Amino acid sequence: MLYVIKRVLGVMVTILFVAITVFLMVRLLPGDPARVIAGMLASPQDVERLRVQLGLDQPLWVQAGIFLTDLVQGDLGTSARTSNPVMAEIGARLPATLILAAAATLLSIGAGIPLGSWAAARAGKLPDVLISTFVLFGISMPVYWLGLMLIIVFSIRLRWLPAAGAGDGVYSLILPAVTLAAFSIAFIVRITRSSMLEVLRQDYIRTARAKGAAEGTVRWRHALRNALPPVITVIGLQFGELLGGAILTETVFGWPGLGRLLVDSIFARDYPMVQGLVITFALMFAVVNLIVDLTYRVIDPRVRYD
Amino acid sequence: MKRFVQYLAVAVLVTGLGFAFAQSTFRIAIGVDPDTLDPAAGTTTTVDNIVDYMAETLVAINEQGAVVPQLATSWEVADDGLAITMALRDGVVFHDGTDMTAESVVWNFSRLTDPDVHVARRGPLAAIDSVEALDDLTVRFNLSETAPYLIGALSQTTNAILSPASVEATGNTYNTITNPVGTGPYVFNGRSLGESVTVDRFDDYWGEIPYYERVVFHVVPEATTRESMLLAGQVDMIILPPASDIPMLDANPSVEVIMGPSNRTIFIVINTNDPQLADPRVRQALNYAVDKEAIIQGILFGAAQAMDAPMAESLFGYTSLGAYEYDPERARELLAEAGVSEGELVLDFMSPTGRYVQDFPASQAIANYLRDVGIEANVRTMDWPTYIATMTAPPESNTTQLHLLGWAPAYLDAAQQMEQFHGSQHPPAGLATSFYGEVDDLIDEAGREFDEVRRAELYAEVSQQIWDDAPWIFLWVQLFPMVHASDVTNIWGLPNEKFYAIYAHPVE
Repeated sequence: MLYVIKRVLGVMVTILFVAITVFLMVRLLPGDPARVIAGMLASPQDVERLRVQLGLDQPLWVQAGIFLTDLVQGDLGTSARTSNPVMAEIGARLPATLILAAAATLLSIGAGIPLGSWAAARAGKLPDVLISTFVLFGISMPVYWLGLMLIIVFSIRLRWLPAAGAGDGVYSLILPAVTLAAFSIAFIVRITRSSMLEVLRQDYIRTARAKGAAEGTVRWRHALRNALPPVITVIGLQFGELLGGAILTETVFGWPGLGRLLVDSIFARDYPMVQGLVITFALMFAVVNLIVDLTYRVIDPRVRYD
Repeated sequence: MKRFVQYLAVAVLVTGLGFAFAQSTFRIAIGVDPDTLDPAAGTTTTVDNIVDYMAETLVAINEQGAVVPQLATSWEVADDGLAITMALRDGVVFHDGTDMTAESVVWNFSRLTDPDVHVARRGPLAAIDSVEALDDLTVRFNLSETAPYLIGALSQTTNAILSPASVEATGNTYNTITNPVGTGPYVFNGRSLGESVTVDRFDDYWGEIPYYERVVFHVVPEATTRESMLLAGQVDMIILPPASDIPMLDANPSVEVIMGPSNRTIFIVINTNDPQLADPRVRQALNYAVDKEAIIQGILFGAAQAMDAPMAESLFGYTSLGAYEYDPERARELLAEAGVSEGELVLDFMSPTGRYVQDFPASQAIANYLRDVGIEANVRTMDWPTYIATMTAPPESNTTQLHLLGWAPAYLDAAQQMEQFHGSQHPPAGLATSFYGEVDDLIDEAGREFDEVRRAELYAEVSQQIWDDAPWIFLWVQLFPMVHASDVTNIWGLPNEKFYAIYAHPVE
């Protein structure tokens, strides 16, 4: 329990650090938010007025003070571009991004671990060769291209699935989730395969076989369980990758998540929104990794948290 | 029993059909995620286009670009040009059921001129001193100076008339409107951030009632994805397909491509303050050196028309001045006359990427044409905020030499186009051509002149002078491609980069 409290405190310190870094970094970017947001046809007076309204005429340390005070109270401020609260803008799109990342994670676990184990068990044989070819494909295929190919085949030619948007429930989710998961599936297959091969060479596996345990029991009970910890680490890191990869996937599929909002906000120099989004991404990443660390304990009772 | 089953089948079928009709929806995929639906705060034409479904302006522009009545039925300018009296349409109601009256108009303009409200395109309203209601259906704009462009400027979505009572409505405050309650043919239904905006037909609309009960604007930033959605039958219409696919879409019988007109001029600003570029002959040479037609056909896939004046044809004040025909020989002669030797001129050339149709590829082609006449132009690109910051840097630190820009006045009058050449708009104040101030007096005079004939003459004169001085490489007027399924019809483009699909209906 003490360990969990320590880790949660650690996450909070990390977030504070991220917050300060992103606050400074967005302001280091060239470009004037007031000018960009006011639009090309705005008069110099109106640009200046907007700059005051956005609080950008204040010295940096005053802006930082306001930002951090609000942040500690759980307030991310108001978007400069849309005049809506940053929390509301993020809240409206967060579920879409989480659903997509979660679906892709489930797909990559559901496909990656069995395929990886199978490839390890048949190392050097046909299934292994086929799976390894697929892995090479999955890892080297650009998300963008894969997404467009899936759209052409399944939406335009076959008309089975919608080409973009999120309006058709689970049907809308299939293509973006598959596209986003392709890389992770391949990656998890690879890690599972090598981890399994490692474990299958261990003495206790030979012992288990020697004592007459069924091959299935050996593989799934003795080997896989011991092969999983590195795989779980990778899954946790991959979830972060998926959040990042979602930016491209969301663009290709017009998926109403946080990715596009981040791009739009950076191009508008919407400081509060960029800050809010980066903090949100960092928080999700930190929380997922905390969960992963706690999962080790369940998988491997030898792991002790002190 | 058998009969009962038949009845049931018929009933189900009829209900199904009824349901299909009840669901009559027109779906449009657009490229931008609206930053705001408050007409006053808008800066983007496509967002204005959505707002136009819900909120109407006093005057509108038609397909030819002429100013036509909308909420105002007629108007009259006082002899001294210092007052405009407008008669309002009778029997118009807002979506909240309140009447649209002179008082509503007065309230809207007091909001639009309130410095505390963020109004992005307030410029043209600067001449308004006060707005008063003469009676229930007559308003008068009292002006502090003559403003012949003002009536046209009232067609800008910024100046849409909202229900004064609606600032109390859900989601709205006096400063920020998220639920625009206007008089338009469609009522705001809802918005899913980052995903869509939905509007429903307004049955008490004063004009012709549209066919579709519902219109959904899908936010799809990626051009290729918009195209896929249309080809997959997921939407009925898209704006801005990928330029390179226009020939393919043209050949596809299931969709129809419309090359909408636009007033967006695309040009390269020449820094006239740079000693190397101060000689008009050098700048004319740059104009002769570039084969605009070849770039339009080869790189823009026909989505533009070469400029023949410093403004688009749809603007009041336009006069055709011929063209800087592609003539590399003439360009070399002019450079020689100006004493510029081959390879002497090395220019920094900035271009945005993805802001205008094929902007960066076109810039690279232009640099090649310049190289052919012995001018080295190094093209570089950067993201938009950095770009604006670089080109609006103050004169002493401004090192830009050539930069590509697009400019679309928010209303169809030369006044806002000419800001690009006016001294008051030079960096860092504005985005105008660098330090080009010879035509200020003429522009000012044209901006005040309210005799239309004289005003047109003044703009013709100033246009000719700008054309000869060549502070720009005059490129093209961009077209605004849109594509719709061929089973719908009655869709066209307006000359200000808007689509007009309110009265779209299925092909009979």
